[in-house]
Amino acid sequence: MEQPTTAFFVRGPQPFTRLVFFSILSLVLMGVDARLHYLTEVRQGFMGLLHPLQVAANMPGYWYRQTAEYWQGHDAMLADNRRLRIVNLQQGVDLQRLRSMEEENMHLRQLLGAVQEIKQPAQLAEIMNVDRDPFTQRVVVNLGSRHGIMTGQAVADGMGVIGQVTRTYPFSSEVTLVTDKSLAIPIQVERSGLRAIAFGHGRDNIIDLPYLPTNVDIQEGDVLVTSGIDGVYPPGLAVARVTSVERDSDLTFARIVCEPAAGIEQHRQVLLLKTPLVAAATPIPDTPAVNTPSGKAPTPTAKPKPSSPSSTTATPASSTPATLPAAPANGGT
Amino acid sequence: MYTTKSRFIYLSLLLALFMSMLPWSGSGLMLRPDFVMVTLIFWLCRAPHLCNIGTAWMAGLLIDLATGGLFGANAFAYSLTAFFAVIYQRRLTLFNIPQLALFVGALLAVTQITQLLLRLFAGGSIPDWHYFLPSLTGTLLWIVLALLSASGTAPTGAASNKRRS
Repeated sequence: MEQPTTAFFVRGPQPFTRLVFFSILSLVLMGVDARLHYLTEVRQGFMGLLHPLQVAANMPGYWYRQTAEYWQGHDAMLADNRRLRIVNLQQGVDLQRLRSMEEENMHLRQLLGAVQEIKQPAQLAEIMNVDRDPFTQRVVVNLGSRHGIMTGQAVADGMGVIGQVTRTYPFSSEVTLVTDKSLAIPIQVERSGLRAIAFGHGRDNIIDLPYLPTNVDIQEGDVLVTSGIDGVYPPGLAVARVTSVERDSDLTFARIVCEPAAGIEQHRQVLLLKTPLVAAATPIPDTPAVNTPSGKAPTPTAKPKPSSPSSTTATPASSTPATLPAAPANGGT
Repeated sequence: MYTTKSRFIYLSLLLALFMSMLPWSGSGLMLRPDFVMVTLIFWLCRAPHLCNIGTAWMAGLLIDLATGGLFGANAFAYSLTAFFAVIYQRRLTLFNIPQLALFVGALLAVTQITQLLLRLFAGGSIPDWHYFLPSLTGTLLWIVLALLSASGTAPTGAASNKRRS
């Protein structure tokens, strides 16, 4: 071992033997990971070890942005400020209307005896890195289970829904984007009120709206918003805009293509929304009858979706059937 | 001698992992070479007694951990590529840099095709042609690495060939 000459000629087992050995090892690992889910704890432990590296990898970009901000011209800053002030003014006007409308809405709800909306607190997180795998649409954000993030939380930005937290690590968590194939969102067409389920396409920043008949009332330009019946996403968040509707009478279903409303590939900051049930501090999500302790009626969930928050690989809200009953309008008993 | 050099290999692999964890986005993400695999190929051809299929497997496992993919998928792809790199390693001294670059490109393509096949088994769809762009950029990165190292002292034929071209 000391002399490089011996090390050069003594090569240990044959390459093919090594290949077979390591192939079998990785196949076993793949099987264990895919079928048995034993490795989540191992993964979390190692992720904790890798975290410093991940933070370090984000440092250059962070410094760059810091210095760029520092050297940004005075004029640019002033112009930005002016623009923001105008936006602020406009939004302030809207906000005043919102306040009164919120109050009016609450009043009406009380009159109807319907359920109260539960406010969803949100945490601001920053995207750390994008998945290198071209088949999955995932990002990693800088808040994890130590910050109270749970799997199943909805993620949004100022323009709409971005996705859902699917895996949490101590200091970071993995967000599956709405454009991922495995993510489905219960939506509602804003114009017609039609409910459906939107699926990610997996590529090209597209969302599909499958399994709708060819005569469905959807037009190009329709805005899809979350219906809120899954109990994960708050109702009314923009999800996507319909870009094309193909009605081929030979096919059973219409082919509807939408583009996500949120700036999925542009933003660095995202909001992690607490799921309504978590927000209402429901202690036991497994009980069949979900009663929130604060005396409020449960949120209009057709299905208390957040499968036990402790589990680390939550299935995205995909199993909600398309023919769910509406939000319980029979309300006050 | 032995320990310092193998430590150097692990350091370079860690650096490569660091490079791949940088916040790439947009077209950068599309072009991002597989830094870890390029580094591995470099060492597999340069020092096969220190960097072998086992090293590649460990590196692949680390990638699986870092990206949160299926445990062992990248490890499998990496060890398969390392196998091809190792069995042809003795013959590489006969080649000049363009020929070696072709070889490296083929190895990177093997990695990507293996990853693709594993994905297709898991129910993925076939990606566009630019899925294979990282192989191309990876080859370019390898050429840069090879030229840099050839300007120093190089045991393989890379140096002599570089002088000739």
